[in-house]
Amino acid sequence: MIWEVFRQEKTGQYHTHCGNVHASDREMAKQFAAIQHGRRKPTNSLWVVPREEIGEIDSEDVAFGGTTDKSYRWATAYNTTGRDASEVVESEDEQATAERQRGDD
Amino acid sequence: MAASLENPDELDERERTALKTLLKRLADDEFVLAERYTEWQVRAPSLESDLALANNAQDELGHARLWYDVLGDVGLEERDLVYERDPGDFRHSTLVELPFEEGDWADAVLRSYLYDVAEDLRLEALVDSTHPKIADRVGKIRSEEEYHLEHAQNWLERLADGGEGRERLQDALDRLFPYAFTLFEPCAPPRGANEASGDEPRAVDPDVEDDIVDLGLRDATLEEMGEEWLSIVVPYLESLDLELPVDGRADDGADEFEFEVTEAMLPEERGRDGTHTDAWFDLYDEFTHTYRELERTETTRIMDKPE
Repeated sequence: MIWEVFRQEKTGQYHTHCGNVHASDREMAKQFAAIQHGRRKPTNSLWVVPREEIGEIDSEDVAFGGTTDKSYRWATAYNTTGRDASEVVESEDEQATAERQRGDD
Repeated sequence: MAASLENPDELDERERTALKTLLKRLADDEFVLAERYTEWQVRAPSLESDLALANNAQDELGHARLWYDVLGDVGLEERDLVYERDPGDFRHSTLVELPFEEGDWADAVLRSYLYDVAEDLRLEALVDSTHPKIADRVGKIRSEEEYHLEHAQNWLERLADGGEGRERLQDALDRLFPYAFTLFEPCAPPRGANEASGDEPRAVDPDVEDDIVDLGLRDATLEEMGEEWLSIVVPYLESLDLELPVDGRADDGADEFEFEVTEAMLPEERGRDGTHTDAWFDLYDEFTHTYRELERTETTRIMDKPE
C-alpha cells in the first residue's frame, strides 16, 4: 500500500508533498516517513495519506479557469490612479507575478 | 554518593577500571550491533524497512562513538578501541554478535527489541551518573532510542499476527533468548587492569560491577536491570503468543512478576567476560579488513567532537 507524504518545515506553513512510502498500515507509514522524508530536511510535521484516498481532477477532465477571457479577474487589467484604489497599486507586483506563474495555456 | 569523576587525572585505579568497564559494555554493544544491522543494507524486506534499520545502525554507531570518546579521556583512542584491538578484549554481549541467517528478518526485529528494552533501562540508570560526560550524553542517546524500540515493537506485533511470521519469530526467540541474558552478565576487567589474573578468558571480577554502582557511575545493578528487563519482555512476548524457550517463571502464584535466570539457561559464550562465538572473530576480521589492507596506522576523523 502506498502512502503519500507531505512535509511541513515550520509550524503554520503548508504541508507540501515530498514523496511516498510503502507500508501495510498507517502506523508503519508514519514511522517509515519519519526516516525517509523527515531525517535530512528541516521538518516540523509530516502527514501520511493513503494514495487511494486522494481525489484527483486534472486538465484533461476540466478546463481550469474556464475557456473564455476572464482578464477582469486580474487587478492588473485595470488602470488606477493610485488615489482611488491604493491597495491595488500596492499589490500590483504581487498580482503580476501571480499572473505569470499561472501560465497562459 | 561519590564525588564527580570528571577529571581523568584524579581518578584512582579502582575508579579508572570501573569507568573503562562500564564504557566498554556500552560502546561495544552499540558498535557491534550496528555492524550486524549494516548487513541488512539493500537486503531488508522493503526499501522502507531497509532505510529504517540503516537509520538505527547509524544511530548506534553514533552512540558508540560518544562512549568511545569518553574512553579517550582515560587514554584509549579509537584505533586502540576498534581497529587495533584484540577481538578477545571486546566486552559486548554475545546477543549482538550472532550472525543473521539470510533473510531472517524476524531475527533482526526480535533482536533489536530484546536489546532496545535493555538499552532503555541502562540509559535510564545513567541519567544521574557521577561522571558528567556520561550524564550529558544520555539524553541525546535516549531520544534516538525511542524510535528504535517503537520500530521493533511495531514489526513484532505485525509479524506475530500469524502464520509464517509468528513461526519465524518463535525460532528467533528460541535461539536468541539465552544470549539476551548475557546483556546483564558481569564483565571481566579490561586489559591492563589487574594484570595478575592474566588467564584466558579473564576471570570475571564482580567487584568491578559493584564499583560501577558504588561510585555512582550507574545507579542500578545488573541484577536490578536484568529483573526489570524480564518483567517487561516476558509478559510482552507472551502477549504476542510466543513461547519462552526456558521456564523461569515462579509458580508460587505471587502477584509480583518473578523469573529466575539460572546458570544453565545461559550460553557458553557471554561476551562480557571475553568469551565470544566464532562468528565474532569473522565479523572482526571483516570490519578491520580495509584498515589492514590499506596498512593504516590511524583512523580518519571527520568530526572533531563526536556530538
